[in-house]
This record gives sequence, structure tokens and C-alpha cells, in this order.
Amino acid sequence: MKNATTPFIIFCLFGILIPILNHFGLVADNTLNLWGRYFCFAIAALGVDLIWGYTGILSLCQAFFFCLGGYAIGMHMLLKTGTKSVYGSTLPDFMVWNQVEQLPLFWEPFHTFPISLLMVIVIPAIIALVFGYLAFRSRLKGVYFAIITQALALAMWLIFLRNETMLGGTNGLTDFKTLLGFELSDPATKRGLYMAAFITLFAAYYFSRFITNSKLGRILVAIRDGEMRLRFIGYPITHYKVFIFMVAGVLASIGGMLYVPQTGIITPGRMDVQASIAMVVWTAVGGRATLIGPIIGAILVNLLYSFLTGAFPGTWLYFLGFLFIGVVLFFPDGITGLWAKCKTLWASRSNNTSTPPEPALEK
Amino acid sequence: MKRWIYSLLFLCIPICVHAQKNSFEEQQITRLRSNDDDNIETAVEAISKSGNIAFYDLMTALFNAELYLTDQGQLVVAGSTREDDYGETFAQLNTAYPKRTVLLDDANIPIEVNLYNLTEVESNRRIRALIQPYLTQMEIFHPDPLKRRVAAETLGHQGNPDAIPILTQAIAKETDTDIKSFMQVARAKLQLQHKDANIRLEAVTALGELNDTFVLPLLESHAEKETDATVQTELKSTIQWLKEFTVIMMAVQTAFVGLSLGSILILVALGLAVIYGQMGVINMAHGEFMMTGAYTTFVVQNICFALLPAAYIDVFFPVSLPLAFVISGCFGLLIERLIIRHLYSRPLESLLATWGVSLVLVQLARSIFGDLTAVKLPKWLSGGYALAPQVLLPYNRLFIIVFTVFIVVGLIAFFYKTNFGLRLRAVTQNRDMSACMGVPVRRVDSFTFFIGTGIAGVAGWAMTLIGNVVPNMGQTYIVDAFLVVVVGGVGKIIGTIVAGLGIGISNKVLEPFVEAVYAKVLILGLIIMFLQANPTGIFPAKGRNEDQ
Repeated sequence: MKNATTPFIIFCLFGILIPILNHFGLVADNTLNLWGRYFCFAIAALGVDLIWGYTGILSLCQAFFFCLGGYAIGMHMLLKTGTKSVYGSTLPDFMVWNQVEQLPLFWEPFHTFPISLLMVIVIPAIIALVFGYLAFRSRLKGVYFAIITQALALAMWLIFLRNETMLGGTNGLTDFKTLLGFELSDPATKRGLYMAAFITLFAAYYFSRFITNSKLGRILVAIRDGEMRLRFIGYPITHYKVFIFMVAGVLASIGGMLYVPQTGIITPGRMDVQASIAMVVWTAVGGRATLIGPIIGAILVNLLYSFLTGAFPGTWLYFLGFLFIGVVLFFPDGITGLWAKCKTLWASRSNNTSTPPEPALEK
Repeated sequence: MKRWIYSLLFLCIPICVHAQKNSFEEQQITRLRSNDDDNIETAVEAISKSGNIAFYDLMTALFNAELYLTDQGQLVVAGSTREDDYGETFAQLNTAYPKRTVLLDDANIPIEVNLYNLTEVESNRRIRALIQPYLTQMEIFHPDPLKRRVAAETLGHQGNPDAIPILTQAIAKETDTDIKSFMQVARAKLQLQHKDANIRLEAVTALGELNDTFVLPLLESHAEKETDATVQTELKSTIQWLKEFTVIMMAVQTAFVGLSLGSILILVALGLAVIYGQMGVINMAHGEFMMTGAYTTFVVQNICFALLPAAYIDVFFPVSLPLAFVISGCFGLLIERLIIRHLYSRPLESLLATWGVSLVLVQLARSIFGDLTAVKLPKWLSGGYALAPQVLLPYNRLFIIVFTVFIVVGLIAFFYKTNFGLRLRAVTQNRDMSACMGVPVRRVDSFTFFIGTGIAGVAGWAMTLIGNVVPNMGQTYIVDAFLVVVVGGVGKIIGTIVAGLGIGISNKVLEPFVEAVYAKVLILGLIIMFLQANPTGIFPAKGRNEDQ
């Protein structure tokens, strides 16, 4: 994007105009909330795009990172609920059910907001660092890496489902009341969360753009297209891979952090095997290896999801399945790829001169 | 009134016949008929002492205060009662000896008598206390196995040494091995309290021979109070042996369960590994091809249940095996033609596309079959082989182990003994070179996919033995099966076998120490550590590509 007008218009529209319209009741609170959540998904999708679209590493545990952020902020909010909970105990309700008398040690840091925010970034970063280092060091790649990350997601999902891990078990964390002292049920807070999600998405977009436009970005693409060549030249590929895995994990985690206050609940269901693959589909539908693609994909697929589950219940899985197959088979570059193709076609027809085709993605 | 008088005449006949037959019985019955407390007591004592089962019904009736005398002085048992409109109580009559049977008049209608016309044979608390042990002792011959078991336990618990011969008699007659061991334990329990050290020794030996950990606490508690030196040594060695035996049996059990899980994983992973080795495609819909095989079995079962007579119903199981293979294989062929073929050499894309296929297939199965269906276990596979009293090896799991061995051997024979297997191995090793040498690579691909998904279908067929047939049944084992493929390495069946057994057994070995979930996490950790050393699995394909 050479000119800055398009992003500026988008920013004004979603970041300023829609919240103002909502303030005057012209945009429903629900719609605003829904879009706020889509932006969170889009942030996670950007992470998927960085690691899969640009670097060519398929990670199937991004939903797990998403949930790490969600659980971190959820734990903070639950502790802030304090004695206003159903049982009037300072402990979260599910601990009262499970007859836990004392707050587990690992919950303690989440009493304060800044530390919780730090945790949202540090925990996924550390997990991605350790896991990524072990995996990439032994040169796991391609489907091997995909399977190992999927197994990680499955194992973590099973652990989060347990009651004794003190993370709320199957029911997850819910019944949040306030965030930084603002009532979550207040429409103004919801608007604030929406704007926070949007601004973070914007920032994440520019951050990703910064990465992809830098020398680092070129190396990432080179890893995707000719890993061995790059290794032989002497680049420490493992470091780059671990780094981008960490970035993707942290982006997903930030998305989760912004998502949970808006939905008011986080359960292990958000991190099952299918959830991670769904994130890959958003990216694929939007168009990978472009930065606007995953954002469009995440929003569009989720819009379709809420439309289809409402209008034709039971058809969603068919639709998602065929979407998978269709996109992979017929539109490997997604919507943005389609758009670019249309533009070239249009240009060649109006100019009647053959514009050189854009360099195609190498698969 | 007239009716029942007539019928009572009939009723006398069997009693009279029996009374003439046996003077002991006649004597006791006469005593009972006298309805005199002392006489009844003598009779009850005599009967208890004789241990004669023939009096069981009679004594039960006396115990429950259901025994009556008619005007003619005959013994009858009052059955169910009803009140008529005038508030009179009528009771159905039964014979009292030797068996309780309903009395019928000549029109075959059960006889009913006003209770007012009968005299109850008195059984005071003293008499009932005398009858109680007799009844318990006799229940050990009861036709109901549960009653026999309870009786054996009660006898052992009561500690009356008089019951030893009765128990011996019952053990000789008993056919059910479970109950027999209960009786043996009860007898040994009584024998252990015997004054004679030899009998105690005999009891200890008998308990040891049962090979049942269940008797350990009994032996241990007895060891504390045993005084005789020989018995004490025998006790110690028996306890020692039983403890060792427990450990061995635990190990056998763990090995068996692990082997069972391992063979399931192998069965699931085989097809996956064959396809991955050949085409580099991880087939995410593999679990759904298993599901297809399972539903094929389910449909064949329903057809057989509808058409065949009950005796031949179990035929459905063997019949559905080839069908499961062919139908799943054809599905796979279709998917290969429509989707995989176009994604050749784009493994990540084909992974996603097959995931899409799996979503569609699961949803399709859900809308056709609903959520919960099950295949009935064939009769010849229900039950299990009892290795020891507490170690049961279920036939269905044994069958799966044997079946896996069969499939593996078949597949190896196919790979190494047939012309097609040769081509397949050639393509796996070097696709381009094989193509240059004239191997029809694409056709080999299609056929491999057919074989791979067919094996998945067969795995699904076998899985119906141990679980329900549900749309997402494939997902239970699929992630583990992927891990098996990753750990096993590509292109060699032996890798899949070793990895499958390794993962299955280590899962089950860890489970007693940590919970199943943590065992899974631990295994994943171990796998990652393992891949640090051997990134391409246990048996990597040898070659010189740039990755190595």
C-alpha cells in the first residue's frame, strides 16, 4: 500500500465512526461486540499468516496460544471479581465447588493488571521458545511439525479440561465483572474493548508489515521457498524459525486476551484440535502471504459462521469442510489472490497491453 | 365350601405316599403335625442335624410362619392371600413336602381356603433360631448362583465347623468356578479355626492353590495368631508366593492392555503410514475412513438382523470385513481422484484439504446415522479368557491383537512378494527415478490410496468390537496414530509396528503412576526428546536428499 489514504479511511470508519454511531444507538451493541471479537480473531490470523503464509511452517497449536492469553486475562478478571461472585468467597467460584481453600500459587501474579498483561506475552513466548527450539533444532518440518504441534494442542486441551489443574476444567473461566474498574456489562466499556481490539489489530498489522518488509521478512520467505539453500549459505535457520513461532504465539495470545473480556467466558473448547485448524482456514480463505488477507479471511469466515448457524443450523460443518477443500484446490491464494487476478485481468483489458503477471507464490 | 373339602382329599395323597416311603421323614412330619412346641423343636433339631435338603421348602415355610394344618391334620403352605368383600382372608394352598407346589383342584384351578379354617403351626423365636442355620446351610445348594455365593460367604463368616462337610459336599457339586472358589475360601476359613494343625495346614495349601490375591488378607491375619511351626512356615511361603503372583499378574495385565492399545494404534497407523510413505500426504480424513468401515459393519449387521434367522446372525461380522475394506477403499479412491491428485507435492495443502474432507464426512455420518449406534458383539467374541481369578483377557481384545498380526503379515507379504509391492516400494524410495523406469506412478498412487484407506476401513471394522460406532470415532486414536507415523519413520512397516507397540505399552505402563492425561503429555514429551536424536523416526528411509 503506497498511499496512506486507504488505511486512514479504514481506521476512521471502524475505529472512530462506528463507535460514534454506536454511541448514538445507530449500530447495535451486539454487532459492535461481534466485530470486536472478529478483530481479535484477525490478530491471531495475522500470527498464523506470519508463520504459515510467510515462513511456510504449519503450526496447528495457534488456538492454544490464543487461549493462553484468554486464560491469563480471565484469571485476572476473576480475581478482581472477588467477593461479588456467587459464593461470596474471594476465591473463584469453581474453586469453591472443588473445595479448594487457598488460592494456588500460580494464580497469585494475576492479582495485578500489568503483571497479567506481561504474562499474556511472556507465557506463550516461553512455551513457543522451548517447544520451537526443541522442534526446529531437530529439523522437524512440514507435516511432522504440524503433527507435533497438533499433539501439543491436544495434550494441552486435555490438561486444561482437568479440574485439578485449577483452571476451571470443562466449564472454563466465566462470570467476569470488571476490568480495570470498568463494569464489563456497561455499553461504554464494550465500546472501549471494541476500540482496543481494533487499535491492537491495526498495530499488529503494522508490526507484521514492519517484519515482512525488513530483511528478516525476506529471510522468512526464503525459508519457505528454499530452506536448504539458505541453510547452506550459513543462516541460522533455527533462530529465525523460533523467533517467528514466538511472534505468532504472542500475537495469538494478545488476540485471546482481547477476546475474553468481550465474550465473558473462556473454555478449553476454544483450543481443541479443530480450533487451531480453523485459524489456518481463515488465513487461507483471506489469502496467505499477504497481510490484509488473514484479516479479511478471519472476519469473513466468522461472519459467515454467525450467519449460517443462525439461518441454516447443521450446515456449518459442511460449509467449512467444502470451504477448506475449495480454497485449497481452486483458490490457493485466497480472496486477495482472486482480487489481484481480477485486477490484472481488468488492467489488461482496458489497456490492451499485457502487464507482467505478479510473481506467483511458489508452493 | 364343598369344593375345598374335596380337594383336600386329593392333597392328602402325596403326603401319605411320602410318609410311607421313609420312616425318618415320616417321623419328623408326624412331629410337626402334632403342633406341639417340644415336638416341633425335636423335629427341627433332627432335620438340622441330618442336613437333608429335602426339608428346605418345609423349613422355610415354618420359618416364615406360612405353615398351616388343615382340619384333616395335613401340612400345607399358605401362599398369596386376598381378602373378599366380607373381610375374610383367603390363601392359596401349596404342598409343604417335599417341594412347594401350588395345589390345584380337578378343574386345574388353584385351591383357595379361608385362613380361618386353618391352624397355624407355631414357630416361636426359639424354633426359628434353630431353623436359621439349617436354611443358610441348605442355601448353598440353591439353584440361584447368587444365593449359593451369599450362603458360602455367610457360612465362612459364621465360623461353625459343622458346616465343613456340607461345604465339601457343595464344592463337589458346584459347576460355576467363581462360586466354587468362594466355597473353597469359606471352607478354608472354617478349617483355619480347627484345633487340628493338619487340617489347618491343608486349608493353607488349599488357599494357596487358588492363586487368588483376594485371600491374602485372610492369610495375613491368620499368620498373626498361628502357633504351630509347620503351619506358620507354610503360611509364610504361601503369602510370599501370592504376593509374587500378584506382581506377575499385574505385569501380565499391563502388558496385555498395552499390547491391545498398541495393536489398535498399529492398525490405525498402518494405512496412514502407507499413504504418507508413498505420497507424502498426511491424510487427516484417515479417522473418517475408519468410521466408514465401522458404519459398513453396522449396516451389514442391520441387514443380517432383518433377514437372517437368529442362529446365523453372527455371520454379519466376517461378511462385513471385505465390505468394509472395499467400501472405505473406494471412498479413498474417490477422494484421491478428486482432491489429492491435484495437490501433488503440496503436503501442507493436502493436509488441510483432507481435514475438510473429514469435516464433511463426519457431518454426513451424523445426519445419516444419528449420534449413537453400536455393533452387537458376536457371541463367540464375548467373554474372556481367565488367566487367573482376577486377570481376565477379553476375547475381543485378544482378537484385535491376533487380527493386527494377521494384517501386518499380509501387508508385508504384499509389499515384498508381489509385483505391485515392488513398484510401490520403488516409488516410495525414489519417485522420479521410478517414473523414468516406466513405473506408472500415478496408478501406483491411486492404488496405494485404495489400500491405505481400505486398511483404515478394516481398522474401523475391528474397532466396532471395543466401542460404539459414532461419527467422530476416528478422532479418538488419530492424533496418536499420527505420532506413531512420525516416530516410526517413513516407508518401513517395521517402524510403524515398533512405534505403535512402544507408544501403546508405555502409555499403559505409565498410567498406574500418573493419570491417563498426564501419561499422554509425558509420552509427547518423550517423543519430542526422541526426535531430538532421531529426527526422521526409528527407521528412516535411507537416501541422500538434501535434508540429511
